[in-house]
Amino acid sequence: MIIANTIAIFQKELQGYFGSPLAYIVAAVFWLISGLFFVELLLGQEGIIQQVATSEQLGIATAPVDVVYLFLNSFFAVMGSLSLFILPILSMGLYAEERKRGTIELLATSPITNWVVALGKLLGVVAFFIVMILPLLIYEAIAFSAAKPPIPPVVPLLAHLGLILLATAILSLGMFISSLTDSSIIAAILTFALVLFLWIIDLIANNIGGEFGEALKHISLLESYNNLVQGIFDTSDLILLASYIFLGLFLTALSIETFRFSRQ
Amino acid sequence: MIEVEHLSKIYGSTTAIEDVHFSVEAGEILGFLGPNGAGKTTTMRILAGYLPATTGTARVANYDVHKQSMEVRRRIGYLPETPPLYLDMTVEGFLHFVAKIKGVPAGDRSQKVIFAIKRCQLLERQKVMIRKLSKGYRQRVGIAQALVHEPPVIILDEPTIGLDPIQLIEVRNLIKSLAGERTIVLSTHILPEVSMTCDRVTIINRGKVVATNTPINLMKELSSSSGYEVEIEGDAAPVFSALQQISGVATVEVHRERASSASNRTLLQITCSDNAEPGKEIAATIVNLGLGLQEMRRTRPSLEDVFLHLTTEDLVVSTQEEN
Repeated sequence: MIIANTIAIFQKELQGYFGSPLAYIVAAVFWLISGLFFVELLLGQEGIIQQVATSEQLGIATAPVDVVYLFLNSFFAVMGSLSLFILPILSMGLYAEERKRGTIELLATSPITNWVVALGKLLGVVAFFIVMILPLLIYEAIAFSAAKPPIPPVVPLLAHLGLILLATAILSLGMFISSLTDSSIIAAILTFALVLFLWIIDLIANNIGGEFGEALKHISLLESYNNLVQGIFDTSDLILLASYIFLGLFLTALSIETFRFSRQ
Repeated sequence: MIEVEHLSKIYGSTTAIEDVHFSVEAGEILGFLGPNGAGKTTTMRILAGYLPATTGTARVANYDVHKQSMEVRRRIGYLPETPPLYLDMTVEGFLHFVAKIKGVPAGDRSQKVIFAIKRCQLLERQKVMIRKLSKGYRQRVGIAQALVHEPPVIILDEPTIGLDPIQLIEVRNLIKSLAGERTIVLSTHILPEVSMTCDRVTIINRGKVVATNTPINLMKELSSSSGYEVEIEGDAAPVFSALQQISGVATVEVHRERASSASNRTLLQITCSDNAEPGKEIAATIVNLGLGLQEMRRTRPSLEDVFLHLTTEDLVVSTQEEN
């Protein structure tokens, strides 16, 4: 029953994205920018291949360089940052639109819990994000198939997992923010502010050093993401990302409950 | 089927409803009538389990709407003030979604959706996106989503708002056709709606229940204000005093401006004392004075009078005792 309801909300949500012009615009911008970076990072003037070639010519290169690995790192660093700015637009309407349209009243008076609604919505928007990163797999496959020696599949796999988990965490928190207001624009702006805040935390963590810096590193989403992208599999990173996702879900369910209680 | 007792809702410093109480029998249609801002929507929302009450209890099918919310939600269909519609879905797709989250088994869904579509006369629009529907059609989709899972209790908050006169009749007939098989509470500020569709009426004003009764009984309550409207031709002055002599006549008022356009006519509004029927004497008096009796009409209080009487004078008529 719970699963069936979650699927019902999930389908509705996903269908909503595929029927929305805004979602296509977001996807198009994402594909354009990620494609540009892909080509630039790989083949451009400042690209990885060019850099390695130059350093070999000059005889600076001391050890053999794993080009594919380097490229993967820098590409996913860009993807992470790009996602941070795209995701608030995907999550802004999750609840704000329901509140504005009054459909929240239908969901809140149907025999389904707030948790199920929140989970279904989150899965829906994450599924749309996954659809957005699917085309990237095609050009990654083309580029990596030329790699000699071939890159172990676990590395790109972890990187993609990291990207999806990072996105899920941001979307989950964005969903909570969306549940606080009935204006999508306000939800998007507040989520951007949150993303900036997370970014600043990561910057501070990496620059001040010391115990405080180390402590901040432990709660930084981007730090965990970077670890996964580098192919470092650490359960503490997974737990941190999962905690953020759960926190977003929990706060959403809570805020929908309280919002009903205090509604004017 | 529905029991509401001592229900109050306070938002900060304002009291939306206070000590609201009524009950609805299975198969009955109860009209919840009140001016705008009387607390109708608040009461409907509490009944549907959307809002918790500050104090008091509401029970639907013997389940507390707040404590046993899930049980209640399974048994109600609810049309909020603004129909909850996903504009980018088709009528059919939307009703399928609603049936799903209301817990209709997959095998029955298609059949129930088609039934609701037919019942709300949406057949030729079932493949249309809700975004493209007019207000009247959207309202019907709103009603269809409240019916689709065939709940025993249906709560409709202003179901006929925004409908044209023909749709209005159709929707009223639809609601009437559900009587007996479903228990319905509908809120409205439109008086004829109540007398046309409801078995009983609860009148609410400024958050308080001022009367609960059948529409006919409510009108009887005010029968003391029944009277006659008489249009005469000729000088009204002698008639005026003569009429006041008749026993059973309480007051006589002259309304010259409301008389027919023909000159020399006067409209008299006569109210009778309790249960008096002085029609014969009134007619005789006018004719004996040699005046033309152009029109004579019995006036009874309409539901509108009852409503105005109850909501403007703060008069609490205790008609809740319904043996």
